[in-house]
Parts: sequence; C-alpha cells; structure tokens
Amino acid sequence: MLFGKDRKATKPDAIIQQLMRIVGQKEVLYLQEDLISYECDGYTMSKGMPKAVVFVNNTKQVSDVVKYLNKQGIPYIARGAGTGLSGGATPLGGEVLISLVRMKKMLHLDLENRKAVVEPGYINLKLTQSISDKGYYYAPDPSSQYACTIGGNVAENSGGAHCLKYGVTTNHILGLEVVLPTGEIIELGEDGVPDRPGYDLLGLLTGSEGTLGIVTKITVKVLKNPEAKKTVLAYFDDIADASQAVSEIIAAGIIPAALEMMDQIAIEGVESAAYPVGHPRDIAAFLLIEVDGVAAGIEDQIDEILTVCKDNQVREVKVARDEAERGLWWANRKMGFGAMGAISPDYLVQDGVIPRTRLPEVLTKIAEISKKYDLRIANIFHAGDGNLHPLILFDARIPGQSERASSAGSACLKVCADVGGSITGEHGVGIEKSDEMRFIFHDDEIEAQTKIRAVFNPDDRLNPGKLFPQPGRCVEVKQEMSKEGL
Amino acid sequence: MVSSHQDTDLCTEPEVLRTNNELGHPLGNGGEEFVDCYSEADISKTLAYAYETNRTVNIISGGTKRGYGGQIEQADILLSLKHYKGIVEHSVGDLTMTVRPGTTIKEITDELSPFGQCLALDPPWPEQATIGGVIAANDSGPKRLLYGSARDFVIGTRIVYADGRIIRTGGKVVKNVAGYDMNKLFIGSMGTLGVISEITLKLRPIPKYEGVSILHFQNGQEMAIRKFAVHLLDSMLEPVCLEVLTPSVAKKMTGKNQYALVIAFEDRERAVREQEKWIQEHIPKEAVLTIFHQHEASEWWGQFYHLGASRCNTTDDVKIQAALKIGSNNLDVLDNLQIACQLADDIGVYVEGHGGVGHGITKIFMEGFPEAFISFVELLRKKVEERHGYVLCTHLPFVLRQKISVWGDKPEHFFLLDGIKQVNDPKRILNRKRYVGGL
Repeated sequence: MLFGKDRKATKPDAIIQQLMRIVGQKEVLYLQEDLISYECDGYTMSKGMPKAVVFVNNTKQVSDVVKYLNKQGIPYIARGAGTGLSGGATPLGGEVLISLVRMKKMLHLDLENRKAVVEPGYINLKLTQSISDKGYYYAPDPSSQYACTIGGNVAENSGGAHCLKYGVTTNHILGLEVVLPTGEIIELGEDGVPDRPGYDLLGLLTGSEGTLGIVTKITVKVLKNPEAKKTVLAYFDDIADASQAVSEIIAAGIIPAALEMMDQIAIEGVESAAYPVGHPRDIAAFLLIEVDGVAAGIEDQIDEILTVCKDNQVREVKVARDEAERGLWWANRKMGFGAMGAISPDYLVQDGVIPRTRLPEVLTKIAEISKKYDLRIANIFHAGDGNLHPLILFDARIPGQSERASSAGSACLKVCADVGGSITGEHGVGIEKSDEMRFIFHDDEIEAQTKIRAVFNPDDRLNPGKLFPQPGRCVEVKQEMSKEGL
Repeated sequence: MVSSHQDTDLCTEPEVLRTNNELGHPLGNGGEEFVDCYSEADISKTLAYAYETNRTVNIISGGTKRGYGGQIEQADILLSLKHYKGIVEHSVGDLTMTVRPGTTIKEITDELSPFGQCLALDPPWPEQATIGGVIAANDSGPKRLLYGSARDFVIGTRIVYADGRIIRTGGKVVKNVAGYDMNKLFIGSMGTLGVISEITLKLRPIPKYEGVSILHFQNGQEMAIRKFAVHLLDSMLEPVCLEVLTPSVAKKMTGKNQYALVIAFEDRERAVREQEKWIQEHIPKEAVLTIFHQHEASEWWGQFYHLGASRCNTTDDVKIQAALKIGSNNLDVLDNLQIACQLADDIGVYVEGHGGVGHGITKIFMEGFPEAFISFVELLRKKVEERHGYVLCTHLPFVLRQKISVWGDKPEHFFLLDGIKQVNDPKRILNRKRYVGGL
C-alpha cells in the first residue's frame, strides 16, 4: 500500500463512488497499489487487474452490488480467501471482486440434527475447532483448511485428504442461500432438509466455480468424531509395490479415512520444509494410511494393513505412537505443495484423477513427461481415490520455463484423461484447465453445460471466461508447443 | 464417442415402435404406442423421432414408480428401459461399476457379491426396482444414514437428451470436479431432463459382519425413543440406520404392536458386538431389545424391503393404496410418524410408516378410501410444513393425482427449474407434467 500524495491524487470514479455508497467508503479498494494483491489467487501463472475490490458485510449488500454492476454492465467475481488453485477467483481484467471475507460468522449450530449454518467467509478449520469440544467436526479438509473459506469450498467442491471415506464438499452441503446474477436472493435446501422436490440445484451449484451465483449462507453437515484413529506410515523401495499395496488394502474391504502417497521428489520437498519427519531420502515412495471408526474394529484393520505392506516388500512400516506423532506426519503431508518452494523457485500443481489401478503406468508416463520437458516432477497422490497431484518444478526467471511447465502440466492431464480419468479432482478448472476440458468432453457436452450456465448467468457477467474453453483457442497453441518438443 | 443423432433418420418411425395394448392403466403414465428399448441406439432413435414429430414420451422401467407423479394418463409413446439391462463394466480394483438403466437392484447385488462388493443403496422392492428408476426418482432406504443416497454414489452417466443426442455427465472416476456436476441434475429429476442410458456408480466392500438391534418401546413412551436416539447419535456408535417403525410396521416385522427403533451395524464383528454391547448397557427401562446377526439380519431386511405399495396393487374395488415420502429435520421424523398415525386414526385410513431419525426421510404407506386420503394428505402436509418439512405422494392412482398435489407448492426458485427444463427439453416431450410445478 502506498501513502502520501500519489494516493490522494487518484479520485474514485462514479462507479467506485456508487459502490462506496452501497457498502461504505472504506470497504472499497480501487487504487492500483491496493489491487495488486488481488490480481490472482493461489494459481499464479495467470494474472489480471480487477477494477475494484468490494468488501460486503451481508446478503443484502451482495445483492445491491450485483444489481448495480449488472445495470452498469460490469463483470464481477466472488472471492473468499484466494487460496484456489486454478484461477477461479482471478480477474481477466476489469472485473469487480466481491470479497466475502467479512461475512465470517457461524449463524446457527444444531448438533442434534447435525448441522451448522455459516457465512461464506467462515474459515474451514475454524468450524471443526469450534465444535470439537463437543465431539463433532466438519469432514472436508483441504490442505489449505487453516485459511480457505467454506464459501470457496462450495464454489470449488473442495476435497481433502480424508474424502476417500467421507466424501468431498458436495456430500456435506445441506442448504445454500444464493444471490443470483440478477441480484435476486434464493434459498436452496431450506433448513437443511434433504431431497426437496425440484432439480438438485444444491448439487449443481456446488463446484460451479462461482459462475452460477454467489453463495451467502451455507448449511453444512457436521459429523461426530470417530471413537478411534490409527495412522500407519509405510516406506517402499519400489513405487509399483506401494501401488500394489494400495490396491490390496482396498481389496481387503478396508475403506481407510485417508490413503496418501508421496514419491521421492515430494519427500525431498517436505523434508526440507517446516515439518520434517525424518523420512529416508532414498525410498521411492511412502504411504500414509489412516483408519478410523469404532475402536474395536480398528486393530484388525491395522493388522491387515501391516500384513499387506509386508507382503509387498515394504522397507519399514510403523503405526503412529501417539497423537503428536500422527499430527507431525499429517503436518508434513499437508505442507506438501508449499514445501516445493524449499527445493524449487517455482512450482505448478496439477490435479488429475485416474482409476487407481492405473497408477503404475501413469507414473511411468509422467516420468517421461518430466524427461521430455526437462523439468522435475514430484507426485503427491490421494492414492485411495486416484487423485494425483504432479508438482512441476521450474524457475520462472529462466525464459521459457513457465510455458514449458504449463505444457508439461497439460500433458500430465492428457495422460489422466487417456486412461479414463479426469482433468481435476478437487482444484477446479478455473482459468488453468479450461482448454483441457476438451480432453474429456466433446463440444455438445460442453454446450450442455454452458446452456445451463445461461439459465443462471445469461450474460456471463458473473466470473466470466472461466471453466469452459473459449471456442478454438489455446488447445491448438499447446499442441503446437508439444509438436515442437517444448 | 457416440453421435447417434447423425445415424438417425429423424422422421422415420423406429421399427421398435408398436401399438400399446395395455391402455387405461390405473396408475396412468402410459403411452398410445410402446417401445421396448434394447440398446442406447433404440432410445436415441425413438427420442429423435418423437422430438421431430412433437410426440410426448413417458419413460418406464421396472414400473415400481409408475404411480409417482404425472398428470397425463397417456403420452404418445411409452418408452420402456426394462430390457436395456446388464453390467457394462465392473472395475473391481477401482470399486466402480457401469450399468444399464433396466438392471434391477437385485441383479446388481448378485453380480457384485462374488467380488465382496456392493452398491450401498437400499431402496424397497430390489427385485423389481431398476437402477434407472431408483436414480431418476432418487429413492433410498434406511441405510442412507451412513452410506448416503443416490447423489453420493452416481459418478457418471450417459443421458439421451430429448432430441436424441447422447451427452455424458461426470466420468468414471470417484473424484471429479471437471465442469458442472451435471450428474446431480438427473438424479431425482423423474426423467424430465433426459433418459438415463448408462450409470457409473461408486461401490463399497460388503461389510464383514452385520447386526440388527430392535428396541421395542411400550406405547405412550415415544419421548423415550427420542431421548435414546439423541443419546445414541451423540455417542461413538456408527449405526448404518436408526429407523423408527410405527406400531403397524413393527407388528408386521416383529409381531409386537409397538413403536420400534431399528439400529443396524455393519462392520468388523468385534466392532458390531461392541456397539451392541453399548445398546445393551444403555437400554432405556421402557424398552425391550431383540438382536439378529448375519443371515437372520439379512432375512429381516429382505422382509423390510417388501413393505408398502410397489406397482398397482389395488386391494379391492373401493379401497386403494398409496405412499408418501416426508422430508424433515432428522429428529422431526418421530413426530411426523406420530402425527401420521394420529391423523390416520382420526380420518379412518390404515397407515404404516418408518423414518430415519439420523437422515430425515420418512415413508408412509396408506390403505383406505380415496376421499379419506385427500384430507389425510392435506392435514399431514400442513403439519409437516409448519416445521419446514415437505410431503410428496410417491404412489397414487392416476385419478387421485388429479385431486391431490403430488409435489406440494412450487419452490420460489421454480423459474430456474423451468429454465433448465427448457434447455434440456425445449419441446417438453419427456415425462411431461411428471414433476414439480408441472415440469
């Protein structure tokens, strides 16, 4: 932020002044220097300058701002904590950002009926923290849960390490209050009552990446803490053995709460970051496996997991001794993405999904991509549900590396699509993967979706240009780059 | 990629179309002409033809939902998916399966059990109910408490749109956020947005051990059920269901004409027994406990899944059968069952009911005279709506659907539902007037 003459010199234009009238003078940022930190979200490869950032305090203000912007024909984007990883809250240029971070209250808690009502700016982890003393928690746990908002989670249908057993955000949303692009306020899943008659708009809006409406109130399911949890860490010398162990654990009829894998480069990253565990640096991969539930049923499952690991040439396998050790293992794992900063100036996170049985061949192909593009790729993998995060390490200061990283990322997604998977499991499409939508959907299928968008957002003024490919653009560019061996 | 639209001669009547001899079905939702589909191409050709020639199409499969909604007795064409069945793909290691819509729930169960896997969806009438119908009507059973409902299992579909085009939604992997979650639009949409021609489902391992604990409460002790359910829900127990039975259902299922609470556990044997021990230690003084395990437990469920009306089982010339679904806050289930029983006594209809105090869905089956139904539904709906719940008629003879609102009032955001219908089926040929607000 700059102070002094320059700051005073710029006068708000008529639009900014009107926005100030709606939300208050201090609630609008419009100076270039104040807007810089809003030019992207957690996906930093693409940036654009918003026209302004408006901090709203309640649903009516959201509605009034939306109505006014509509009248003026100005595009706008809802934004939470800005932790999104696909550019969903990144302006293309000139949009007004409607920041929901001030709407951060819990409005209602009903443990008997196992639900809570929160505003969209409520931070994910805070919900669990505020009900844990009563023995309850909120299940979706993205790695950014200490910062990300539940409104953002709804927009992206966020997952997390524990969604193998408990599902992703959509499985935990009971109701929404939504401001439509007309400014109209609607309520879906009133009072959290399930299966209300009418098309499942709750399900449609969850994961719609802020293109259908702005969520202003969220009713979520809360769960009772499991009686017991046990966590296993297993080190493998061969990634194929680790993959086979994953398949055999599932085949044994165990649904672990989490089943995570990290390869050697990812381990190098987390061991150089804030929470080193002391993982051996020369192993090919480790599995982090957590089982929870009724205590009496856990021991048997742990024994079976240990047996499976031993049958698959595990070098070392251990059960967390206590909560402190379990906590450290998870802190180490959840640092995964950020830890790449310790071993590389820049990194790009990808988010493919594959049938988990295809893991070994997909990892081989990713290794080939790494070689072809001459960039190191680390792999962090929600192995249980087939959600793979290749982390492409690069140095943006070296000309051409950013573009190469982007192409390598796209190539990884193509591999996932080709084995029957998806281009995103939890990070969303946003700006980043809109062209890659064509890897999995044909034109009619994309049109079926954009026509649904038009029912809600006919002028594409709410979060424009996101999620869907622009007719015949970048795909060709990327293909050209790929032909040239870039 | 299938693009059967191009392969279809749009204005040629499909060879599979024939005159329907079964006219005037008491549940309505029939068709002047009938087509039995054996392939996705059959569905696509029929819809392309209907779309071009402005013919309306009703969709049927196992027929267990024939009495569920619908203001038109006969459409131009009745399209049956009953014979479009079978498993397209079962990826054992990935715990996923792709099936055709006419496959019954039982057929799916039988196919999966040798692999130690199951579809954890437990709607009634598994031998007749097909997966297509269950998904289209979003039906579920008591075990949705732990396992979830259709929206938690369906990971991908192929849909034949009204004009015959084939559109895929979702995918074949268990975690996927690419594009809008279009799967959700078709679940529970009563076939008004497209015909489901393939469904990919998430599976679960068959639990190692199962037990059913039934607590019988003396009449007049309904408050004790609530208290016990609240206590249990706040404990470390992880029941797959927590279902309250009205005395009429309990009598059929257990021989005792009292309210009962059914608590099922499916886990490792030690975990099941440990949880049953908790029940035994906390059993309210007003209650008596019965426990079944394994074979006996599954037999008990077998009987349970055949309660109530399925097709058109008119009992005699005057009395009819009907069914309702109530959605409410979880713990209002008990009150709703009591209200239904009380109203039934006052008005003179016979009711059976059960509902999940952990998931908020109650099902009511009724038998009686048509006139009595009308006031029963109206009064029950009024009471349930006072607590933000809703009442739907999931099984009613066609004539009564003219007199009773099947879906209740239109939601305030109906214009969005109408907009979606307009996008997917602009000529409104699919299951016309089958769904809420005449969609």
